[in-house]
Amino acid sequence: MSKSYFDETHCAFGHPKSTFMQWMLTIDHKRIGIMYAVVMFTFFFVAVAAALTMRFELFAPGQQFIEAQTFNQAFTLHGVIMVFLFIIPGIPAVFGNIVMPLMIGAKDVSFPRLNWFTFWLYILGCIIALSSLFNFSIADGSVVFNFADTGWTFYAPYSLNTDTNVVTTLVAAFILGMASILTGLNFLVTIHRLRAPGMDFFKMPLFVWGIYATAWIQLLATPVVGITLVLALLEKYFGIGIFDPSKGGDPVLFQHLFWIYSHPAVYLMILPAFGIMSEIIPAFSRREIFGYRTIALSSASIAGVGYLVWGHHLFTSGMSDMAKTIFSFLTFFVAIPTGIKFYDWIATMYKGKIVLDTPMLWALGTIITFAIGGLSGVTIAMIGSDIHLQDTYYTIAHFHYAMLGGVVFLFFAGIHYWFPLVFGKMYSEVQAKLAFVILFIGFNFLWFPMFIAGYLGMPRRYFDYLPEFQIYHQFSFWGAIIFVVGLVYMFYVLIQGIRNGKPTTPNPWNATTLEWHLPTTPPPLENHTKVPYVDFRPYEYHHGQPVVKFDENMKRID
Amino acid sequence: MVTNYKAEKASYYKVLLGLLVLTAITFVQPSMFLTHYTFGMQMLIGTVKAWIILMYYMHLKGEVLIGWTVIFAVFLVAFFFAIVMIDVNYFQFADVSHITSPAQ
Amino acid sequence: MAHDSHDSHEYVPEIAVDRDGNQHEVQGWQGDTYGGKLGFWLFMLTEVMMFGSMFMVLSYYFHLHPQDFLDASAGLNRVLGGTNTVVLLVSALTMGLGLLKMRNGDVKGAKLMIWATILLALVFLGVKAVEWTAEYHHGIFLGLDALQSGNEHSLPFGQILFFGMYFSMTGLHGVHIIIGIGLMLWLLKRINSGKVTPEHNILHFNIALYWDLVHLIWVFVFPYFYMIGAGDIAGGVIHGH
Ligand code: HEM
Ligand SMILES: [Cu+2]
Repeated sequence: MSKSYFDETHCAFGHPKSTFMQWMLTIDHKRIGIMYAVVMFTFFFVAVAAALTMRFELFAPGQQFIEAQTFNQAFTLHGVIMVFLFIIPGIPAVFGNIVMPLMIGAKDVSFPRLNWFTFWLYILGCIIALSSLFNFSIADGSVVFNFADTGWTFYAPYSLNTDTNVVTTLVAAFILGMASILTGLNFLVTIHRLRAPGMDFFKMPLFVWGIYATAWIQLLATPVVGITLVLALLEKYFGIGIFDPSKGGDPVLFQHLFWIYSHPAVYLMILPAFGIMSEIIPAFSRREIFGYRTIALSSASIAGVGYLVWGHHLFTSGMSDMAKTIFSFLTFFVAIPTGIKFYDWIATMYKGKIVLDTPMLWALGTIITFAIGGLSGVTIAMIGSDIHLQDTYYTIAHFHYAMLGGVVFLFFAGIHYWFPLVFGKMYSEVQAKLAFVILFIGFNFLWFPMFIAGYLGMPRRYFDYLPEFQIYHQFSFWGAIIFVVGLVYMFYVLIQGIRNGKPTTPNPWNATTLEWHLPTTPPPLENHTKVPYVDFRPYEYHHGQPVVKFDENMKRID
Repeated sequence: MVTNYKAEKASYYKVLLGLLVLTAITFVQPSMFLTHYTFGMQMLIGTVKAWIILMYYMHLKGEVLIGWTVIFAVFLVAFFFAIVMIDVNYFQFADVSHITSPAQ
Repeated sequence: MAHDSHDSHEYVPEIAVDRDGNQHEVQGWQGDTYGGKLGFWLFMLTEVMMFGSMFMVLSYYFHLHPQDFLDASAGLNRVLGGTNTVVLLVSALTMGLGLLKMRNGDVKGAKLMIWATILLALVFLGVKAVEWTAEYHHGIFLGLDALQSGNEHSLPFGQILFFGMYFSMTGLHGVHIIIGIGLMLWLLKRINSGKVTPEHNILHFNIALYWDLVHLIWVFVFPYFYMIGAGDIAGGVIHGH
């Protein structure tokens, strides 16, 4: 047996003997990606637990299990983890690391040691973010938490006045932002410098395009929120005044600065997810992707226009009518490149030889859920309807359809797609499909009723509600239960796959991109045996079979 | 190599001289000329200085890819500026808000 | 066992062969000087975005309170600010000359120039300290009454905001100077241990870039705070009460 990257590694410094230290110090992009995945999904489950707590509390009007204040902390915890710890590092940190270098025929990212450092910066950020969870006191037999209660948005002036521990959360968000910036920086240089000879930008796989567009957002938008958080900290501790109305500071300015980053951030989450979709659809339709260039350029233009629409979060903040109109228009505009992608995917499937393996099921499911998420987004980009729907569960349902039903679903799709590549083994297809069905049903039960409740006026971030909303919350509760069962089952199936799945070949899906042309699976430490010369398009199929083939020295033999 | 070194060194000093002259102008401008446009003039001089530093000290001259990335970033900041300034200009509750029109 | 990736100097690029048998050199991550430069420029763009955002905040309030801003600006100490401007300007020269010397094989001269830059950076911080202390004694500092609202010493909104941003921005700029000193000391260490040489000077190159950026930021910070209100008063007097 040849050695894989599980057997040997390069380290940031020294040559540790113990396996544990080799993982801690590894600079191999594949190992780092796996470590991100483990940490991120651990926190994901913590956030899901917080969400379930809220769902239990919302089962009936009035107080059930937790205090109103604890509820505020629960949605803050949920939001902060889901956004800053889970979905912002997200797909780039995991699959950007693991497969992007493989897809462009590189041996690693451009700055492997920086990559290692970035991972540990991320861990530091996570620790600081959750440190205040352990800062609680027991009064009258009940636990009083000190975790921030501001929501993940930290709006001034409340975040400056609250007694809870926002400072650690702000510092953590800043550090996590730095990690995100460094990841983006590393990927940008990698994609510019390390593509295999012959691979120009329009021969790159579309996932790499997604990562590329994302990296620009990570790089240029994150500093804005970084400095905003620093200013908020300075405000809180030195009273510089700029977000404090009693000194003439304008809280709306905080909202501007916050969303200048946080809106592009949602494209930062979805663009790599779209990239995964663009890999899976041609591979399981056994057909060259339709409109390669339009998909690639739409990623770029979504990233570009995505910088310019942040104001749709401020429609009810007293922003000028002029600015509102500009922002509303620009927001509609982003839907165009997104729509183009959808048509391209569907056109790819048309007359293709569709194979309904698990990754494809996830991709198809997402086409439905993300369409709902995306189109409901357009409805709240209209100034008029947004006045009614802002800060209601309609908006919450919208972004859960987009984030959970879009990004996270495609993340799952990617996990099932690249699983055999990463581990050299295969999970049980039957069980994985079952997990998909449970999750898909549970998800829609969980979030669809919330569109209606929100439309009827159920406000977000509320611990209590009027009795007429109870029916929707109960539907939602049972949906959440089904969903969480599905989640646990899916991870069980995957872990079973890692432990005793059947060994696979390097290219089990008959896919075409370079990461499926490795000599062995799992891949060796330094990836391809030789760097190939790339003079072909990424998704060439002929009669349902991949066109490009390599021998063991990466010489083309077709 | 050696002649190149001398030439580069000379250019460093020339740039220094240019920057010093511009700094001197910065100092005298508010009391000497275009005194009604001090802010604009100061920013203009700053921009010229920045341009010189970028081109000669930071060797941006001739860098195509890096040059474009810089332009992109500067453009973005400019856009953020523009929108936020439009917004504050037409702030909806400008007349009643104590932030935009303090009572003093 | 893993081979030592520190030995990047001996890295031999791989060759990819296309169908016609032509050879193409593969760019590896090792020894990629241009990549290092590109990466550092991208990092500097993040600084541009950060300080750009702060200038945006500053302009926002300048727009709301133009007169307060001019009044507050008139009270800053232009002599000290101007001195620092010149100090930084000269330090940019020494840094640049150091790099030039390094590239031409004069390692000793290069080190001398880096030390000179460090010295100038310390002078900058010293002047800054004097300036802030004087302001503190005039009652203008974060946390003092003048910059709080609703007491008899309170300055008008616009001035509170001006000084709030003044201390934040010059403070953060100062932090960058301190980081720069740290980087230069590290650079000297790398030069001494032979990791940075006339042939492999990317670290030196990038730290020189960083120093230019710190200078560049000051080029806008200085006039925005010190000069905009210089019109009527001939500098040097802090607003007291
Ligand atoms: C297990 C599935 C999930 C459930 C059951 C769930 C449930 C909830 C609930 C009940 C709320 C509170 C709504 C309110 O009271 O305003 C909420 C808020 C939120 N959720 Fe989720 N969620 C899930 C997954 C996710 C995911 C994957 C993300 C990823 C981005 C996410 C991001 C957020 C955010 C950002 C908020 C807003 C927090 C705030 O108001 O500050 N959620 N979620
Ligand atoms: Cu948005």
